[in-house]
Amino acid sequence: MKPKACVLLADGINCDQELFYAFEKYGGAPQFVHVNELRSKSKKLKNYQILAIPGGFAYGDDVVSGKILATELVSFLKDQIKEFVQRKRLVVGICNGFQVLVRTGLLPFNHLGKMDATLAQNASGHFECRFVKIKIEDSRAVFLKPYVGQIIDIAVNHGEGRFFALDKELKKVENSKLVFCRYVDEKGKPAKHYPQNPNGALNAIAGITDPTGHILGLMPHPEKIVELTQHPNWRRGNVQAKGGFVFQGMIKFAKVS
Amino acid sequence: MIYEVRVASREDRDTKGDDLLAEIKRTLGVSSIKKIRTAKVYRLEGIARNHLKKFTEKVLWEPIDQKVSFGNSILKGADKIVEVAYRPGVMNPEAGSLLKAASDLGIKLSAADSSWQYAIFGKISKENLQKIIDRLLVNKTVETVIEKSPKTLLISGTSGPVITIPMRTMSGEELIGLSRDRLFLNLEEMKVIQNYFKKAGRDPFDCEVEILAQTWSEHCVHKTFKASLTIDGKQKEPLIKRIKSTLKNNPKIVVSAFVDNSGVIDFYDGFAISGKGETHNSPSAIEPYGGAMTGSGGVFRDILGTGQGAKVIASSDIFCFAPYDMPTKLIPPGCLPPDYLLRKVVAGVRDYGNRVGIPTNNGSVHFHNDFRAKPTVAVGSFGIIPKKQAKKGIVQKGDLIVTIGGRTGRDGIHGATFSSAEMTAKTTNVSGSAVQIGNAIEEKRIIDAVLALRAKGLIRAITDCGAGGYSSAVGEMGSKLGARVFLEKIPLKYTGLAPWEIFLSESQERMVLAISPQNIKRTLAICKLYNTEATVFGRFDGKKRLMVTYGKILVCSLDMEFLHHGLPQRKMVGTTVKNPIRQKLPPKNIDMEKVWIKIMSHGNVCSKEPIIRMYDHTVQGTSVLQPLAGTDLNAPNDGAIIRPLLKKPYGLVITHGLNPALNIIDPYKGSVWAILEAVSNYVAVGGQLKNAALIDNFIWPFPDEESLAALDQAVDACVDSAKILGMPFISGKDSLSSTYRYPNGKVLKIPPVLLISVFGRIPDVAKTASSDFKKLGSTIVLVGKPDLKNLGGTAYFDITKSTQNSVSSPDPKTSANILSSITSAIKTGDALSVHDISEGGLAAALAEMCIGGGCGALVDLAKISKERPDFTLFNETPATFLVEVESPLAAKKLFANIPHFIIGQTVKTPNIVVTQGSKIVGTVKVSRLKNAWQKPMKEIFHYEA
Repeated sequence: MKPKACVLLADGINCDQELFYAFEKYGGAPQFVHVNELRSKSKKLKNYQILAIPGGFAYGDDVVSGKILATELVSFLKDQIKEFVQRKRLVVGICNGFQVLVRTGLLPFNHLGKMDATLAQNASGHFECRFVKIKIEDSRAVFLKPYVGQIIDIAVNHGEGRFFALDKELKKVENSKLVFCRYVDEKGKPAKHYPQNPNGALNAIAGITDPTGHILGLMPHPEKIVELTQHPNWRRGNVQAKGGFVFQGMIKFAKVS
Repeated sequence: MIYEVRVASREDRDTKGDDLLAEIKRTLGVSSIKKIRTAKVYRLEGIARNHLKKFTEKVLWEPIDQKVSFGNSILKGADKIVEVAYRPGVMNPEAGSLLKAASDLGIKLSAADSSWQYAIFGKISKENLQKIIDRLLVNKTVETVIEKSPKTLLISGTSGPVITIPMRTMSGEELIGLSRDRLFLNLEEMKVIQNYFKKAGRDPFDCEVEILAQTWSEHCVHKTFKASLTIDGKQKEPLIKRIKSTLKNNPKIVVSAFVDNSGVIDFYDGFAISGKGETHNSPSAIEPYGGAMTGSGGVFRDILGTGQGAKVIASSDIFCFAPYDMPTKLIPPGCLPPDYLLRKVVAGVRDYGNRVGIPTNNGSVHFHNDFRAKPTVAVGSFGIIPKKQAKKGIVQKGDLIVTIGGRTGRDGIHGATFSSAEMTAKTTNVSGSAVQIGNAIEEKRIIDAVLALRAKGLIRAITDCGAGGYSSAVGEMGSKLGARVFLEKIPLKYTGLAPWEIFLSESQERMVLAISPQNIKRTLAICKLYNTEATVFGRFDGKKRLMVTYGKILVCSLDMEFLHHGLPQRKMVGTTVKNPIRQKLPPKNIDMEKVWIKIMSHGNVCSKEPIIRMYDHTVQGTSVLQPLAGTDLNAPNDGAIIRPLLKKPYGLVITHGLNPALNIIDPYKGSVWAILEAVSNYVAVGGQLKNAALIDNFIWPFPDEESLAALDQAVDACVDSAKILGMPFISGKDSLSSTYRYPNGKVLKIPPVLLISVFGRIPDVAKTASSDFKKLGSTIVLVGKPDLKNLGGTAYFDITKSTQNSVSSPDPKTSANILSSITSAIKTGDALSVHDISEGGLAAALAEMCIGGGCGALVDLAKISKERPDFTLFNETPATFLVEVESPLAAKKLFANIPHFIIGQTVKTPNIVVTQGSKIVGTVKVSRLKNAWQKPMKEIFHYEA
């Protein structure tokens, strides 16, 4: 059976179509679910193996990015989400979805309702749309093992993506192997400077998982590089579309678990 | 009672403050300020004290990197603190989100607002502070400095009465007085209205006069384009009729043209694609941020309001400003500085397009002195829709009139009439209410809802509520059947609107739908799912009148026939005036390297990367020819290609062309240039003209005799060129108010702009080209016939202060053959890279290709001409291309019967070496060209990369 992915919709979410396509392409059965349908219980989270929160500007990213949707999820869907996470179902948040997960507290430490890190305004002070490189690291996200070491060309499209945590939390994130990808330079080393590190993220952190390894969040958009022609330089040759790792990894895992 | 919460960064960094500081240094040269820190201010009204803390902790404040205060003292030790907020009545989009979050948390909150505080550290004179406020912080049209906290955030008022205007007894002078500054109709039109009411035996209500003024405004009805014309003593067909005649050039591809909110052509697999170009010059001139936002919002809704609702899939933005470094004293009274306009317009497009999730992947920026009074801000938008739902819906008797989306406020009143008027120093004061801030998420909600309604087949007809508001939307939809409207049902932002204001308001993010009564329940349910407010406020009743009431009060009862056909056709006269331009050519012994560097940093040539990167151009995952590519991802491509159906190989190609500087010299040839430039860009990326359509935007000075004659020539150029190219115009718009009147009465005509957009389909996105050189040692070919004699209006003549009364004008017939040779070379894969030659000439195109390829080039100009090397390098002949191919032999085969010149090859050393036979014309490092090319926009946008 194809694992069912709940692609969450809310006012201002706008990367849902390409996320849907990516799940489909890698053998998943995605469905669009509006947050109002979860609130009214006309659709239930427990009927899905994967919860995916797409990119966009949920509620305009008013106050700070992802805040209003995070508040809504924690206020109305706390129990559904808790149960979903306890059952070791998979959660992924991309860009705005990552901001939402961090602001619900699900990332980095699976503390629903308490924030331990933030995604602050880009150090450059502005929204950035460009392709950068990330490298997949060994992390708690076990289903990403096959991809560890890969360097991937990937799109970033955000104004508030600078991963930031206080020293203690940052150490815990690093020591618990929660970082699953970082921005890297031409040599594959963590990128310190703009634009390789497009937002000034601490330790060049681009994506993290939680201690269970079942919740993923990342600022770059893997769903926007699953076809070669989505690469800005596909006409030059020698480039690949490798954003599928997230979806392939999750779907394979969901199939066996 | 209002509580105030202030939140600021805890870190020793503040990008918003740093950006402002850099802007103060750059534009005002003030260097006494050490740093600027910012804080967000939230005002909350009607919240219980014990809820204030909870709300702050859950929503407003993040302790990880922020500090909070409930007093006034969060930014300590500052020399000056300035707080800037939206004026009361200007909708702050954030307020809605604050109310929603409170409601989600079960907290009662009656009103909310947010604003910014700027703390200035370091000495600053009173005079300089005022300059910072006026020039950089506050746009008085929509913003204000908060001196003391407001007592309430709630806006209310009592509705104004319905006023009867004693029009029947008015003299001609009185009629003109009534029209001036409010209705913008001429005496003849006012008299027609007077007669209608004389016959009706009563005087009109204010609402009726407003409806007529709106419906008959130049903006809505295009009087000039429909006028009967006499040009230089010769009778000519109305402009619109001529443009529509181009439909026969390629009728096969057209699905819907000139009848709906956008033009529609055929795509593949049962889909159609649509395109529209709009301008938002007048609002952007006085409030560029809001003006650009609502410009984007309007054109997206034009696509959404096409057929039974098309999906918006791409957008383009084209701007013209005065040079960004124009001295302040040259800027006319009541006008804003060009660099401020540029930054704010870009920010508006960014914040709107990115939030709605529409890729902005095509655009350009142009500069000319005479845009100093009013910029041109053009936005294009493109969509996709199942072909069977692509035609304009036909309203049936009994259909309900439904409004969805934003509520109605006093904002945007008189937008349609205001846009039709020339600008003066007092425009800002009189027309402030015509400008508003867009709410992108409201727009996204209506898009989500409409696409869901369309998928279920629930929409009979749909239109956007743009200029003229409900008056225009309902008036048009009901023009055949008649409409009965109940104004009291319309949801308002606040009380206090007079009935005519409700009907005429141009509040953003609203659509009007015609829904059959049997579908209304499902329609309302779907709108609710997407948090879109939907309200039935009337029906199309078949009585052929526009009958509007507010409660029991009659507000309007007009005959639809009179409303839509009562306007007399204008008779207009045009007279060609030749502007004497003395020829002054550049000296022959120029320093080629120095000039080349200058050309690269000319506003029309320089890199726009900092702008492009702030626009989301990969959202929706569809972009397959991105605006920038090449080894360092910063070489520009000639157009955009998207793959709207991710599972299919089909592409939508989008390009454009314009050159206002040329229209001043020669409106006909300048217009031919714009069309050839647009289609050259189109074929340079792999598009085929037989699968494409044209869109026109005329942004012209007020049509006095001289400007009308120029407009007539531009239209002829469009029609003649389209015929030769075998292409139809399927949509167009004119904005004939590019005129500024100084307080002393002197008139400044803003350069006439003809913007041509091209869009179309290609069967396979794999068969397309980018502009970056791909290989070393490959052959560089100039394809086309450069015009080495006519360089009037080029960037080269601009920087050398040269003049010429003729512009390049290649033979269109030859050009058509050249264009199709480029298409085939890309289709077969023989063209490794292609770049259209435009502003900056061969020199700029070659530099950009080398920048993209990370390589250099050897070029011999003698292969083209043995005459002036500067003219060979810098002419801007349209329909000429640089093409990279494997070998000279390949070039000869590909372009056998086409004018072409094998001029050189790509090399590893990143220098461009230009010779003319045995003589070296110049050697220049690609890195030097690149730096010069990137510098201007990097400075304006404080871009560090």
